[in-house]
Amino acid sequence: MVDKKTVSFMRSLCMGQIEEDVILPFPTIPSAEKETLRGVVRSLEQLLDPHAADFRHWDRAGEFPLEFVEELKAFGLFSLVIPEEHGGLGFGSSAYSRALQEVAKYDASVAVTVGAHSSIGMRGVLLFGTDEQKARYMPKLATGELVAAFCLTEPGAGSDAASIKTSAVKDGDDWILSGNKLWITNGGIADFFTVFAKTDEVDGRGKLSAFLVTRDMGGVSSGPHEDKMGLRASSTTTVHFDNVRVPRQNLLGEVGKGFKVAMTILNSGRTGLGGGSVGGMKKLIALSAKQAKDRVQFGKPISDFGLIKQKVGQMVVDCYASEAVVSMVAGLNDAGYEDYAVEAAISKVFASEALGRTADEALQIAGGNGYMCEYPYERVVRDSRINRIFEGTNDILRLFIALNAMNDAGQTLRELSKSLEGVFTDPIKGFGVVSEYTLRRVSMATGYNRHGTTFTKLDPSLKLVAGIFEGGTRDLATASDRILRKHGRAIIDKQFATRRLADIMIDLFVLASVISRVDSAIVERGAEQTKKEHEIVTVFARQAERRIKANMDEIDNNVDESIKSLADHSFELEKFGWDTL
Amino acid sequence: MKVLVALKRVADPDNANKVKVSAAGDAIDTTGLEWKTNPFDEYALEAALRLTENGKTPKKREGEVVVVTLGPKESETMLRAALATGADRAIRIEATDAELDGRLVAWALKAVVAAEKPDLILLGKQAVDGDSNQVGQRLAELLDFPMATFAATLHEEPGALLVGREVDGGVLTLRVTLPAVVTVDLRIVAPTSVFSKLTAMEAGFKHGDGVRFAPLPAIMAAKKKPLDVKPLAELVGGAVLATKYVKFERPAQRAGGAKVKDVAELVEKLASVSKVI
Repeated sequence: MVDKKTVSFMRSLCMGQIEEDVILPFPTIPSAEKETLRGVVRSLEQLLDPHAADFRHWDRAGEFPLEFVEELKAFGLFSLVIPEEHGGLGFGSSAYSRALQEVAKYDASVAVTVGAHSSIGMRGVLLFGTDEQKARYMPKLATGELVAAFCLTEPGAGSDAASIKTSAVKDGDDWILSGNKLWITNGGIADFFTVFAKTDEVDGRGKLSAFLVTRDMGGVSSGPHEDKMGLRASSTTTVHFDNVRVPRQNLLGEVGKGFKVAMTILNSGRTGLGGGSVGGMKKLIALSAKQAKDRVQFGKPISDFGLIKQKVGQMVVDCYASEAVVSMVAGLNDAGYEDYAVEAAISKVFASEALGRTADEALQIAGGNGYMCEYPYERVVRDSRINRIFEGTNDILRLFIALNAMNDAGQTLRELSKSLEGVFTDPIKGFGVVSEYTLRRVSMATGYNRHGTTFTKLDPSLKLVAGIFEGGTRDLATASDRILRKHGRAIIDKQFATRRLADIMIDLFVLASVISRVDSAIVERGAEQTKKEHEIVTVFARQAERRIKANMDEIDNNVDESIKSLADHSFELEKFGWDTL
Repeated sequence: MKVLVALKRVADPDNANKVKVSAAGDAIDTTGLEWKTNPFDEYALEAALRLTENGKTPKKREGEVVVVTLGPKESETMLRAALATGADRAIRIEATDAELDGRLVAWALKAVVAAEKPDLILLGKQAVDGDSNQVGQRLAELLDFPMATFAATLHEEPGALLVGREVDGGVLTLRVTLPAVVTVDLRIVAPTSVFSKLTAMEAGFKHGDGVRFAPLPAIMAAKKKPLDVKPLAELVGGAVLATKYVKFERPAQRAGGAKVKDVAELVEKLASVSKVI
């Protein structure tokens, strides 16, 4: 049995170990939730489908009418993840992610309004709230009487959450909270805020703490509705806290543990954004398929043309893979795994980029029509762009993904060098460590089948793709080893190298998720009924294999230094340095 | 008023192209089909809900709506959906489609009516799978109740219902004394089709257009509403099928068309190929 408290599939993988029990069988939605979900899907269609024309109008107007937000509340759309005893649907991550998929098919602004509430705005109460806090807020959060917002970002603190300026100062039993938050989704309609602020400067630096703030505490105000590129109907505003008196019992979690609280919330909520991305892709594939069949050029529907098939086929692979990795992360969360931050980050990066590609290609298939506001494509392109930016930019997440792995590998190398010293004082202990490490390296280098370095439980028809995955795993270990030996501690500043490692890890975890999904499909429906899925996993594996190889080649053989010098050149000039005039 | 609404689970008509006939041609292959409530039965349920409320507070039932189906365990999904939209109780009679025909369904429903004693039995005018169009009529006959079919409007009166039926060239209005059996057509869900004695008093009142849908809290609440299961034999005794399906076959594939270059060729093809002249 794997230890759900400590085991992470990707961290193990970076050490050359394939923990197949973590990802097999492919996670499914629990049957009771599935039943509820069917009803939810049917009701959502009846609620949102009649608003199709309104959504276009509200996008242009840049705002949802208040009545529509009230309609969402009455419908219960803010209650998805709230436990049943507090009046919610009690959805786990898998069911929640699937529900947001459905919402996103109709309108991304609705999805982000619901997502900002459920994925992050109120998730802190769910994860860290005391029984008293839950009893006090959950029922109102379920009915939408309180819509929630997550207040982390500030003008000077985007990806760098540690530089937050909002402060909370102890005053008797209360905290006095002051500061300004930026780009807060639901900022204009929320009455409940999970706010992160610096608390008393313990060692001169001050640490983050999380607070539950409601508008009725006084001193809370929202700025004007931001004029955005996409998700225009959803509310995004600044939120200002002016000497807000927050009672002691509204501290969320422990004093000084705010950073951990924020990161845990973001991790736990990632499958909402992922689900939204997958829903968007499914809608785009349906639109593109219809467009390709209806549009006739050169006497044939354009669906007959290879370049159109190439785009739609790739969309299908991207969508299947995104759904696999998002469902896998949701499943890990539901199964009680605690260390899945790397996996969650991978799912966010992959699904948001896959949606970006899909939206772009869907617009391309529609040609000139795609560029016209009369058609849905340009709106999806605008709406989906933010997915690569918010809830952690994909750039920061890539560094996070790779540095986590490297930290583990670095630990082992340190242990190794320590035990080598020990070889002389404590030969037996030293020998154990060395041999374990050596064996793993030998095994990785040779592909010799040692326990934990191969899949053992997959359907035999997946041998080829499992082989690609195992090869990729050896590449990953080699890559992290080489990068660490080359850069050592300086790795933190070697972002070109880190990115390559992250991309290898992303490909591997998504591939593992796709393999798991197809394997479970074969078990359930047999080889005959899953031929198309077999093609999907084969395509993805071969594409991933080529990308991994390219990243490996570039570790030692690249143009990084030239690229950097060109960037520095432009930074110095603050423009492009050549003119033909 | 107490209303009994009979529901049938049918293969989703929007996915009709997925309906496959078994190799032997003796049955419809149901694997992989998506199911939904027969649309006309959904309209019957909507009519029942409108008849049992005052129009202003749709969550409060003035009377009782009981839904019943004959089907396997999986058809409980449909019953739960009906409970979520507002029905009070559900009954499932354990049976598979292969065990049933219109006559047996009517007999089983007669037994349910005897136990439940509703004021009104509402059904869809027909199920969109078999299109038999028998159950409502047979049930009325077995019960010896007044009957109105294909209802487009329903107005409640003391002890009776005024039923509007759309017929060629006009509307035929019937007054049926309760208890009665009424089957409904699609216009029954228009905003001003159904008035209970409470909503009728409101001048200018309008229902929503079409069938209502369940908000999420109602979906959760529906899980706790009563759902009784009865064996078919208990209701119909030893009665067996009187109708047997002999054979299922798909419509013949349409042969591809051809382009003709002139009228002469067209006339020639109409004679030699289509054989219509």
